[in-house]
Amino acid sequence: MAGEAQCLGYAGCNFLRQRLVLSTLSGRPLKIRKIRAKEEDPGLRDFEASFIRLMDKVTNGSRIEINQTGTTLYYQPGLLYGGSLEHDCSPSRSIGYYLESLLCLAPFMKHPLKIVLRGVTNDQVDPSVDVLKATALPLLKKFGIDGESLEIKINRRGMPPKGGGEVLFACPVRKVLQPIQFTDPGKIKRIRGTAYSVRVSPQMANRMVESARSILNKFLPDIYIYTDHMKGVSSGKSPGFGMCLTAETINGTILSAELASNPQGQGAAVLPEELGQNCAKLLLEEVYRGGCVDSTNQSLALLLMTLGQRDVSKVLLGPLSPYTIEFLRHLRSFFQIMFKIETKTPEEEHVGGEKVLMTCVGIGFSNLSKTIR
Amino acid sequence: MEEKEKKKHRAKHSGPKAEKKRKRYLNDLGIGDEENARKRNPKAFTVQSAVRMARTFHRTQDLKTKKHHIPVVDRTPLEPPPVVVVVVGPPKVGKSTLIKCLIKNFTRQKLVEIRGPVTIVSGKKRRLTIIECGCDINTMIDLAKVADLVLMLIDASFGFEMETFEFLNICQVHGFPKMMGVLTHLDTFKNNKQLKKTKKKLKHRFWTEVYPGAKLFYLSGMVHGEYQKQEIHNLGRFISVMKFRPLTWQTSHPYVLADRMEELTNPEDVRINPKCDRKISLYGYLRGAHLKNKSQIHMPGVGDFTVSDVSFLPDPCALPEQQKKRSLNEKEKLVYAPLSGVGGIVYDKDAVYIDLGGSHAHEKEEEEVRPNHELVQSLISTHSAIDVKMASSKVSLFMDSRPLGSEDVGQEFVMPKEERQIDLKTGRVRRKALFEEEEKENDDAVSDEEDDQEEEEEEAMSEDGSDGDDEDDAEEESNRALLREEIALGRAKRLKTEVAKEEAVNELPAFADSDDDLEIGSEGEEGKTAPEENEMEEDDDDEEGEEDEQRTYENESSDSEFEAASKRVTESKQYEINNEDTEMRSQISDHSLKRKAVLTTDSGNCTAEEASESEAENSLDEGDDEEGSHDELEVEESNRKGFRHTQAKKADSIRQTKVKAVEAEDDDDDVENLLRDEEEYEEKIDFSADTTGALKWKEDLTQKAAQAFLRQQRSTPNLRKLIYGTAVEDEDHKSEDAGDELGGLFRVSRPDKASKQKANALDCSKFLIEKPQDWDLEEVMSSIRDCFVTGKWEDDKDAAKLLEEDEELYGDFEDLETGVVHKGKPAAEGDESGSEEEDEDGKISKPEPEEEEKKKERIDKKRKLKEMFDAEYDEGDATYFDDLKEEMHKQAQLNRAEFEDQDDETRVQYEGFRPGMYVRIEVENVPCEFVLNFDPHYPIILGGLGNSEGNVGYVQLRLKKHRWYKKILKTRDPLILSLGWRRFQTIPMFYIEDHNGRHRLLKYTPQHMHCGATFWGPITPQGTGFLAVQSVSGTTPDFRIAATGVVLDLDKSITIVKKLKLTGFPFKIFKNTSFIKGMFNSQLEVAKFEGAAIRTVSGIRGQIKKALRTPVGAFRATFEDKLLMSDIVFVRTWYPVSIPTFYNPVTSLLKPAGEKNSWSGMKTTGQLRHERGIKLKQNKDSLYKPIVREKRHFNKLHIPKALQKALPFKNKPKNLDKKGKTPKDQWRPAVIREPHEKKISALLSALSTVNNYKIKKAKVKHREQLKEYLKVKQKEDEQKFKRQKEAKKKIYRILGQREKKRQKSSLKGSSKGEKNM
Repeated sequence: MAGEAQCLGYAGCNFLRQRLVLSTLSGRPLKIRKIRAKEEDPGLRDFEASFIRLMDKVTNGSRIEINQTGTTLYYQPGLLYGGSLEHDCSPSRSIGYYLESLLCLAPFMKHPLKIVLRGVTNDQVDPSVDVLKATALPLLKKFGIDGESLEIKINRRGMPPKGGGEVLFACPVRKVLQPIQFTDPGKIKRIRGTAYSVRVSPQMANRMVESARSILNKFLPDIYIYTDHMKGVSSGKSPGFGMCLTAETINGTILSAELASNPQGQGAAVLPEELGQNCAKLLLEEVYRGGCVDSTNQSLALLLMTLGQRDVSKVLLGPLSPYTIEFLRHLRSFFQIMFKIETKTPEEEHVGGEKVLMTCVGIGFSNLSKTIR
Repeated sequence: MEEKEKKKHRAKHSGPKAEKKRKRYLNDLGIGDEENARKRNPKAFTVQSAVRMARTFHRTQDLKTKKHHIPVVDRTPLEPPPVVVVVVGPPKVGKSTLIKCLIKNFTRQKLVEIRGPVTIVSGKKRRLTIIECGCDINTMIDLAKVADLVLMLIDASFGFEMETFEFLNICQVHGFPKMMGVLTHLDTFKNNKQLKKTKKKLKHRFWTEVYPGAKLFYLSGMVHGEYQKQEIHNLGRFISVMKFRPLTWQTSHPYVLADRMEELTNPEDVRINPKCDRKISLYGYLRGAHLKNKSQIHMPGVGDFTVSDVSFLPDPCALPEQQKKRSLNEKEKLVYAPLSGVGGIVYDKDAVYIDLGGSHAHEKEEEEVRPNHELVQSLISTHSAIDVKMASSKVSLFMDSRPLGSEDVGQEFVMPKEERQIDLKTGRVRRKALFEEEEKENDDAVSDEEDDQEEEEEEAMSEDGSDGDDEDDAEEESNRALLREEIALGRAKRLKTEVAKEEAVNELPAFADSDDDLEIGSEGEEGKTAPEENEMEEDDDDEEGEEDEQRTYENESSDSEFEAASKRVTESKQYEINNEDTEMRSQISDHSLKRKAVLTTDSGNCTAEEASESEAENSLDEGDDEEGSHDELEVEESNRKGFRHTQAKKADSIRQTKVKAVEAEDDDDDVENLLRDEEEYEEKIDFSADTTGALKWKEDLTQKAAQAFLRQQRSTPNLRKLIYGTAVEDEDHKSEDAGDELGGLFRVSRPDKASKQKANALDCSKFLIEKPQDWDLEEVMSSIRDCFVTGKWEDDKDAAKLLEEDEELYGDFEDLETGVVHKGKPAAEGDESGSEEEDEDGKISKPEPEEEEKKKERIDKKRKLKEMFDAEYDEGDATYFDDLKEEMHKQAQLNRAEFEDQDDETRVQYEGFRPGMYVRIEVENVPCEFVLNFDPHYPIILGGLGNSEGNVGYVQLRLKKHRWYKKILKTRDPLILSLGWRRFQTIPMFYIEDHNGRHRLLKYTPQHMHCGATFWGPITPQGTGFLAVQSVSGTTPDFRIAATGVVLDLDKSITIVKKLKLTGFPFKIFKNTSFIKGMFNSQLEVAKFEGAAIRTVSGIRGQIKKALRTPVGAFRATFEDKLLMSDIVFVRTWYPVSIPTFYNPVTSLLKPAGEKNSWSGMKTTGQLRHERGIKLKQNKDSLYKPIVREKRHFNKLHIPKALQKALPFKNKPKNLDKKGKTPKDQWRPAVIREPHEKKISALLSALSTVNNYKIKKAKVKHREQLKEYLKVKQKEDEQKFKRQKEAKKKIYRILGQREKKRQKSSLKGSSKGEKNM
């Protein structure tokens, strides 16, 4: 019998997104137990529930079973369907939380995905929509996922705690991905960024820009930071400001850093100057880590390498984040794929810390959802 | 007399010879050649019409681009698996004989009985796996999917049979492997002309099926039950030089054609429950793509399984090592066919089996051959009573024939294209395929020429072959004795012997050699020469060999086994001691990894050891090591002392590594950094070697490998361990886990270090920085200074430096505008001075590296110049296609080179088991029937499944009924599909897509058209071909393949609808509005259909308006015209159809032996009705009855009086009165003649009679004459027509040839013109 593939079992709510995404892509069912079993408020949180709902929306024929307390989740993946969708994200996590997973899934849909996500666009926890727009999309392009329809558009900005932002994400579908050889990050040629402010004084953005420039100018003259002040209906429901910076190299690598102000009514007020400086320093930190892919998108790059054709792909990364390390483990259990990991100490002195060269052979994944005529 | 006989010589005026002569003559005159003509009259050859020129140019370009295939990355492994040669054909056509002959041809061994695949070495670079394909359609389907080359045997004395065409169709669907036809039974033709004709006919038919020009081999006759040696030799050569195109399905899925099966189930479990699921291991060459452990596989005929373990074994039929010689020697001509009991030595995971001939093995075989013995045996072994047997017996008329039932005897098949014939000799029923004569007379000339050519080729081949044969014969004689022994070996029973690992190395010269190479590379500095090493090793091996023999003798007692085991343990310990000594001196961090290699490598143990030796270059005490290996005879004593010591050490090291794994990276990194400083020098050498150029990657591979190994040993970081853990630990852990759970009562609670603490942490992908650096400090800032374009660049990218180099290259130039003369620096001087400076600085005088450097620089310079030249002249016109091809080529090279320097163990972890490896696959939960009813004649295939290919869902197909299949297919009838690896029964629904995208259900497949089909079954990638059969059991006279097609779409839901018409009747009619009842059952239903279009049967259109309150379900509707009460109103709706979720894999391999071709799944309703004699209950109303029409009676036409009056006379009814009797007075009087008058009249009548007769006679005569004349005329006409036709034909042929010539010349002219351009 073509019995269902072996069910994979996990415990705990951490890395829920990874697991669900990989389960969907590999077609293997999944069972997660002990989700916050020992906490006072057991079970899945609202943002996780919202994520599961989103998964249900983009797939067809998925079976999701959750027990009464919400501590156990069984997920049997269906086929990725896509199409034009809308989703209201939970305001307790930002849209980035949802978008990161959609970026992994979108190229393998039946119909090109065009989804409107509503919720918090920028917060302090997750990578913001601005960063994903600046870093993840160029990364997708490297794998042959490009075209006019690949876009992330911020219609409205929403800051925590209430949100009210709106983002449009569209992605074309591909049958197969190209392998990449991405081992030379190149030198940084320019720094760009956005300083945004909603429902606060528009001057805030300028103050942030000023302070960030003061630090970055020591390294590079080509710096331009856009100020983005949204007003009226497109400014969401809560006040706040923040900034994200990206450094682009001559080889098209994009490194990023971001910082946002404390949400209204939580923590002390942050000075925009301080925020700008800290953000610039974070960017330098990221430059120090280096690699061809910035730290938030490591897992996306590795996933797309895995899902490539049966060819060797290589990518040079900075130090692996804990999230990526767990992701690698998951890749092994879902796709039986192991990466060859070589640490590389740069030969020259002034190019930052140690790098990791990741090499793998793709599994020969092909988009099973796409229709042929 | 002689003079009389002599004929005068007549010079030829036509034909090739005359043509040649004429040409020569013209040449002599200097006007004949076209080249000359071009010279003589150049104007005639210039462009005369630009349009025409453009057209020809376009055409040539079109032809050129048509040849392009989309380039794909070449993923064929360096050492490819054996080519699968499937020998297929109807029964009794000579398949087994051919296989035997081929094996004999290649290996000089004679196999008596062939079961399952036979792998042989056919040349220096090619191995073949030959397998026979029976006529069971299951086997045919399975083998078509794995075949690389198909040898299609055709009985020339009979012609094509249906099996051939079925197989061809199967192949077409599943990717077309290379085909080669082989005609046999050609000796039955007595008439040479007949033979020639048949050959040609069959060839052309074969060409239409495969491709024009496909190779068809002729095996003329048998000599002593074998084909002629020369012909087989030629066939073998054709096979061994054949090239293959990669097939999509095969290259994208791993698969194994198993050549060995073993059961691993615990015998106790079997004893308790003989029907329990089994655990088996299957062996075979891995083909296609990389196979990963724990992946899903499908075994056609059995089902889906998950691989529980894979391991690779030493190649049992290895290719000879690379040596510069032309042919194989006798030792290298290997055969491997474990299912047939041939193959010498068989490797298992932990043991080696050697086939030894039992003393009675030979006799047994001979006895069994005799038929009368068989009879006696069968009588002895009867279990059932004779009357029971009688009841169930079938009559088999001849040996080997299918038992005949009554239906087979009496039937006659009248078919246009297929014919069932009963062979007179064997009584076998054959399914002849007949075709109309397609060949025209005109073709004869051409094809004859081709035939001649082919024959010439073959003759040439045979000459070649015979030379080789002579040599071979000599060899053969000398080796005959040896051969006999080997054969005996092959037939024998197996005897298990435990052999130490060293012997495994001994058996595998390739392995040992490669190790030596490594050592040459790495130990060059040591001053120790490789041959010495080899000798030493051989010594070792000899001793160990003795030891092994001893051990085998000991084995018979049970105690000795334990001893051997303990010995092995101690041996491995011994290695560890060596390792650890060396390691302690060199490094600390390598500990665990190396030991792991020792532990996990099985036969590759030696490598690890030697590698470690080489690593410890200087510090290694050779004497110690030698002692260590020599002393193994007394190893038990000596090691038991050291045992505790080593154990303690081991524990230590384990603790160390574990600590390391747990600790943060930083500590490790520090250590590594320290270590790396020492190794920097070596690594630099590596890098320089790497950068010398991509083309040179092949140089010094061994050395590179050795170096890379070292490098890898050092730098393979603990990062890997941190992420994946060590493979061994991992597996142990898992198995323990499983054991714990099975144990039930108690469970060891083991904290899951890494994931436990994080299990419920925040799920965030951001990599937070714990302790940010202070970016205001100068040194911190300078640490990333060079990451920016403003920082320092590498030498090869720095603009200033590049400019300098350019200057050196081009030297001096003069700026013409300003008139300034720039002088280039004398490069050599600068270099020299630089190097001198270096020398002074370093105070080391090394002349060689300096020179080398110079040389390198020169080479670099040259390369750069060449690149620039290429860019300017060669690559300028590189097309998109060329670029794409180049890219693919680069990727392929990278794929090959990336993991080349790693040993197989680690390589397997990264890329999976690569094709070409001989693997052992363990599978659990296999139905017991598979083992119990195992029949080696049926191929066992393990087909790897991609991601989610093991899942089920709805699959949409584009399907077409095969044009040779007699019936049409019915929706909802079960059908057996062959799709991907699988064969399964399912219930498809046929549909057709309407122009608005609606999928409308069809009851039957259309006759000659594609239609859609959807079924519930395994998900298979789009674009995969499939075929359908209605049953796989037995044989039918008809063509068995019912339909073919391709997968279009996969989904978890479907959208097929069927038409549903709801009818209603008017119960109240106003003008255009009517009330309709009987269509719906409730107001709600009506509400759902408000606004829907309705129609009456008579064609009046309308619309549903609103529901009425009473009666329930009635509604108001408006129409375009007034209805009648007798009208029927209907609304057309679409009803979604559900597909039965029925998926039933064909488990033909589970059937008992001899019944494997009798699998029958779900039956169709029709079959069931037929079997049980259930008649279809028909609706009486829809039956046809004889139409009885009443005779219609029409009333008389009655025209009113008034109207009559008004009518014109013409139209007035004429009421004519009936005539009465003529009155007497109007009677005419009778004439009475006089005698004279009578006479006259008599005479006249006589005369007229005569005259009439004469006229009649003349008429007849005239008619005959006319007939004659017409006949003659027709003949003449015919002849005339014939003459005209022939004349016309001649003219047209001449015209045609002239046209062709002109085209050819114009093409040639254009291509030449192109070149000139």
